[in-house]
Amino acid sequence: MGAWEFYITTLLVYFAIDVLSAYSLNLQFGFGGIINLSYIIFQAIGAYVAASVSLGPDTGANAFQTYLFGASLPFPLPLILATLAGAVLALVIGSFGLRRMRKDYQAAVLLIVSLIAWQVVSSDTHLFNGSNGVTGVGRPLGTTLPLSSLGYQWIYVVWTLVICAVVYLLVRWLSVSPWGRALRAMRDQEDAAISLGINVTALRLQVFVIGGAIAGLSGGLLVEYIGAWSPGAWGYAETFVILTAMFVGGNRNYKGVVLGTLLVPILFLELPRFLPPFGYPGLIDSLEWVVIGLMWMASLLIRPQGIIPEKRNLVYAGNFDGVLRGRSMSKLSLRRTQKAEAK
Amino acid sequence: MIESEKLADAPVERTASDGDGRVVLSARDVVVRYGGVVAVDGVSFDVKAGEAVGLIGPNGAGKSTMLASLGGQAKAAGGSILLDGRDVTKLSAYRRARLGLLRTFQSTSEFGDMTTFENLVTAGNGFKGASLTSVVFHRKENSRSDREIAGRAWEMLERFDMTHVANAYAKELSGGQRRLVEIMRCLMTSPKLLLLDEPMVGVAPHLVEKLVGDLCAIRDEGISIIIVEHALEVVRALSNRVVVMSFGKKIADAPYDEIVNNREVQDAYLG
Repeated sequence: MGAWEFYITTLLVYFAIDVLSAYSLNLQFGFGGIINLSYIIFQAIGAYVAASVSLGPDTGANAFQTYLFGASLPFPLPLILATLAGAVLALVIGSFGLRRMRKDYQAAVLLIVSLIAWQVVSSDTHLFNGSNGVTGVGRPLGTTLPLSSLGYQWIYVVWTLVICAVVYLLVRWLSVSPWGRALRAMRDQEDAAISLGINVTALRLQVFVIGGAIAGLSGGLLVEYIGAWSPGAWGYAETFVILTAMFVGGNRNYKGVVLGTLLVPILFLELPRFLPPFGYPGLIDSLEWVVIGLMWMASLLIRPQGIIPEKRNLVYAGNFDGVLRGRSMSKLSLRRTQKAEAK
Repeated sequence: MIESEKLADAPVERTASDGDGRVVLSARDVVVRYGGVVAVDGVSFDVKAGEAVGLIGPNGAGKSTMLASLGGQAKAAGGSILLDGRDVTKLSAYRRARLGLLRTFQSTSEFGDMTTFENLVTAGNGFKGASLTSVVFHRKENSRSDREIAGRAWEMLERFDMTHVANAYAKELSGGQRRLVEIMRCLMTSPKLLLLDEPMVGVAPHLVEKLVGDLCAIRDEGISIIIVEHALEVVRALSNRVVVMSFGKKIADAPYDEIVNNREVQDAYLG
């Protein structure tokens, strides 16, 4: 039972962190129309920063690894710095990667940035210990809380779910605000948005930085849970897993991306563990990648709007408030309104 | 065709023909180059408040480029553009829009995955209400102005008889309705001047007359219009004055009836 409980709690933590990633990408792509193929590097910098500011200096017990910013900051400072690191990196990359050019070119630039970043961090051992990565990151308040190992697992699950809920409220509030409407306008027709006075350059950078901050936070949460971080954890293809989850579940809809996260990185990527082994070692892993790609393509072909599509905000005379807060009327109240109007 | 003929035969009425005489937009020797090609070559004209100016000319005359240089989509290599006396030549398109210089495009540019109502509200929020700082730091103020904007959007839908499609995605509308959405969207921002690039493209013939009527009403409210349009009956019905371009140069600037008898204009059109 203990092993199962441990497994389930681990899955729940991963689920919550993947949901954060999906929220970030959904805000950027579903609402802002930016195809961020470099998403994973923002999670990675969050993880590296959270790790190195909690590990202490890279001397003494940590002399076996080298990394920047060695410090022993107390909880929750590493998470805050991870969030800031994601935001700052997004600001730097966004300022050249999101210049006015075709969206496919932007996507290509961001993918290339992701590849270069991975190569540089893997090769240069002075940054974050090269391809071996950093290890030995302690769990936040791990020694302070009088909890059993399993008890701590559950606390961490609750902690990540609480952060997920807070981030959900934030991104939802932002996306139904006038700012969110400007974002959707930019996504649908950039030139028309400009001609209405919307500064799309600033808007794009803002949504990129907010997404980067969420990614950094997710990286911090992840490294504090697993205790180590290396380039093996953030290959460019990891971005595609979250993007697939978003497309399958329904980009532009926060419930949709949660469903997609449950289906793709959790259910689909965990199922092979329960299959009897077949083929040569590593075959199942490789097939997973193949199927992820196929799922993405299939979802684009069969149901491009995803399982749960974008909600249409309905307006009737008198319910402006609801629409302005992004609430669409339920079918029931819609029928009632129509009946009342008919009378 | 029948509708177009009706338009052509209709008496031309111009209630606010000369507006209050105040110059809203002034183009001075505007030059636009695409590489080695001079698309607009030293064009100058003024537009007064409440005045509609037709910009016509044969294909390739530089009309759309001229419009783009006024709107800020094409960079002027020479000359200057003044809006209400302020030099906007160096300002980017979104800054000109904030000053009241709005434009529509040749192909419809509705926000397709937003409802008609949302299209209007988005425009009404303008740049101030939609900024991140305003959303974060001025929430109460925003929510008040949101309600006011929503009310205005509904009035706009009523005025243009579009309330029945308030909840339709803009991409589901007909060509004429999409044009109206674009125009209503511009009006939501309380513009000084509208730049309309072939607004009748894609509009069903029986709706052209209605759309022209709507544009005339907008003009009569004191909003200036510059319209690039191939359908000359539309230009005749709407415009107080017509600027004719050929090979990037302005060859005439006069009321429609004088233009049609102008020899140079006839030559430009007939080759």
